[in-house]
Amino acid sequence: MNNEKGYLCLVLHAHLPYVRHPEYPDFLEEDWFFEAMCETYIPLLDIYERLTNEGVDFRITMSLTPPLCNMMSDPLLNERFKNYLYKRIELCEKEIFRTKNTPFYKTAQMYLSRFLRIREIYEDYYKGYIINGFKKFQELGKLEIITCCATHGFLPLQIRKEAVNAQIKIATDDYREKFGRSPRGIWLAECAYNPGDDHFLKDYGIRFFFLETHGILYGTPRPRYGVYAPVYCPSGVAAFARDMESAHQVWSAEMGYPGDYRYREFYRDVGYDLDYDYIKPYLHLDGVRRNVGIKYYKITGRVPLSEKQPYEPDEAKEIAAIHAGNFMFNRERQIEYLESFLGRKPVVVSMYDAELFGHWWFEGPWFLEYLFKKIHYDQKTIKMITPIEYLNIYPDNQVVQPIMSSWGDKGYNEVWLNGSNDWIYRHLHKATQRMIDLANKFYHTTDPLIIRTLKQCARELVLATSSDWPFLMTVGTAKTYSTRRFITHIQRFTKLWESIEAGKIDEAFLSDCEWKDNIFKNMDWKAFASFNLKK
Amino acid sequence: MSSSSSKKLENQNIPDNEYKTLPEGYGETEAVLLPRDPYWMYIYWEITENSVKNLISSIGIETYSSAKKVIRVYEISEKDEFLGFFDIPVIFEARNWYINVKECGKTYLCEIGIITPDGRFIGIVKTNKVSLPRAGVSDIIDEKWMIVNHEFEKLLEISGVDYIGKGSAEIAKSLAQRWEMLKSVFSRVSSFGISSFSSHEILKEKEKEKVKNFWLVADCEVVVYGATEPNATLIVGDRKINLNPDGTFALRYALGDGNIVIPIRAVSQDGTMKRGITFKISRETTKDE
Repeated sequence: MNNEKGYLCLVLHAHLPYVRHPEYPDFLEEDWFFEAMCETYIPLLDIYERLTNEGVDFRITMSLTPPLCNMMSDPLLNERFKNYLYKRIELCEKEIFRTKNTPFYKTAQMYLSRFLRIREIYEDYYKGYIINGFKKFQELGKLEIITCCATHGFLPLQIRKEAVNAQIKIATDDYREKFGRSPRGIWLAECAYNPGDDHFLKDYGIRFFFLETHGILYGTPRPRYGVYAPVYCPSGVAAFARDMESAHQVWSAEMGYPGDYRYREFYRDVGYDLDYDYIKPYLHLDGVRRNVGIKYYKITGRVPLSEKQPYEPDEAKEIAAIHAGNFMFNRERQIEYLESFLGRKPVVVSMYDAELFGHWWFEGPWFLEYLFKKIHYDQKTIKMITPIEYLNIYPDNQVVQPIMSSWGDKGYNEVWLNGSNDWIYRHLHKATQRMIDLANKFYHTTDPLIIRTLKQCARELVLATSSDWPFLMTVGTAKTYSTRRFITHIQRFTKLWESIEAGKIDEAFLSDCEWKDNIFKNMDWKAFASFNLKK
Repeated sequence: MSSSSSKKLENQNIPDNEYKTLPEGYGETEAVLLPRDPYWMYIYWEITENSVKNLISSIGIETYSSAKKVIRVYEISEKDEFLGFFDIPVIFEARNWYINVKECGKTYLCEIGIITPDGRFIGIVKTNKVSLPRAGVSDIIDEKWMIVNHEFEKLLEISGVDYIGKGSAEIAKSLAQRWEMLKSVFSRVSSFGISSFSSHEILKEKEKEKVKNFWLVADCEVVVYGATEPNATLIVGDRKINLNPDGTFALRYALGDGNIVIPIRAVSQDGTMKRGITFKISRETTKDE
């Protein structure tokens, strides 16, 4: 049975910043979550369900970040998501009539059955709590769910180790709450690693994490197997690094799969194409035309949007199958070659943003489903594996100190530290230092109001620490929103801090912050205490 | 916020003092050093008036004024010994700086200070230590995990060493595109289904094409639309516009070459509240033969 030549470790990083605005009846950026639910997270559960029923033995590793898990379990966002989903179903029902006897009819039918299936999985299977879906497949041994830094904080730009400790501690607490056991692996936000941070992972029982390619390649001493075997950091925590070849095959602009002309065109959306009065009920309250997620055209080629051809779901599905076959073929050849070259069964780690599959690349989930099936039925060269399974087979690995690195542009910290966002660190570090001082000073307090305030201080601080804000400032998209989010959290933190320091806690203000920024219901503010570092 | 609705829920009495800017500084003299990549660091600092006053009272205003203000960059060893330093002239008011170093993989610490005319360095505030990553493979070989040189080179090649930088840039770009998409969702104002993003792409493509016996006619118009309270009075230009029952409106204008200004004013029913948005649009048509 063990005649495979090597292993494929597929890793999807699922993350969205915590966006939730109870103070508005309707909020544009909350759509990020609703879209990802419909396009990625629930379709993935659908695939896992089908594969399991068909007896296909698959393996996948997924990070579900704490902000995402907190959004998935938030009653308000779930209520709003349900509303979003029902509206989509209503629109799809109307579309069946509108598109009758047109080339778009089949696609309209596809959308309707898709959204009905999403509703079935969301409501009937998991009663509005899809975390239980992921948990189910983890318990079946098909899916390894890993955690992430508490709010996707970028660790190499923290100057206080207490803050690193807090990002890990708060994340593992949240994971235990959601999945009923401790996480065995972690996705460091942006794969950003700073030598020494692995000791904090070890403290919380985490056994592995992921790095960008050069994190290991440039490590000391020279890594004997390159990126095709994990290394142990000095702390004993294993690091797996990204395989560039498989990354490129999907991502690259010239040869990547998602650009195939038969796949769905993102930019032709009924939100713009249909009569205003017809589409208006499905827009936001401001009535501005935006994408609503129903699209009837294929990429077609380099033609203006008005010359796009009708999308054909069956054709696109076939192409997804061909691409899956091509991906598998390339991994087989790669692994055969590596095995003979290295003299050891290689592990090829293919890491992607989960939202690529479904949101950016509509056919991505079909691609994954075909890939799992083909690997299961059509070949014997490669075997899918999770990092833990690999470490169980190969416990003896080289000890290497990886370098500071990230998977961002140029491979280091520049995306999160440049002229567009460097101003944030002065404020972030000051707030962090104040939080540490508070945690040290009030470590033994029993005053319920002070404890409530300390918890909220910690919530505001971790929300400000999200790497999403400086990232969005760099790429220039949603810049106003990200800037305001950062400033708001720092201001709320500062006001709460002042109120504790002055011994005059403004309970109305505290309640307002609790209502708006409710992440981590059981926030462990003591995670910021310096005491943790001496362990 | 780029929220889709400006209507806040009315269930609280907290004055909204948010979204103001953050303070310039925190009234403490301090300096922090951050790593950017193998050859660059970022430093930010705050030097309070008090610190400057103290310094002046000890060395005298003249010495202070004629002193050079610098960032002293120390290279330090694993055992915290100072191995050497260089100075970067700055003005204290800059408050932050990017620092380029010649050697990667080293540990640094900075000190903001002054150099007096007689060459004395007086430090004001020190930063934390920062260790920069190496920008290439290690020279150290593990005896237990030996690999011969030419095989290691081959291994680097297979592992994608050539993609480092380029590879991750492309991937970051794709990541950015994920948001680019969202941006196009937020910012598309044309109802003709052409985003600024994709039309730009198309134009670039068009430029590449050389087609003979080909013709083109094109014109453009502008659509102004929006929404306000249904019972408000809306004036666009000098014309009162009838709102739809839900408060939305849409107007279509011809757009010739030159500039047009479209002022939009909304007045609440009782006349006490006003809001205005003005669009300045210019069109310039060029034809290439």
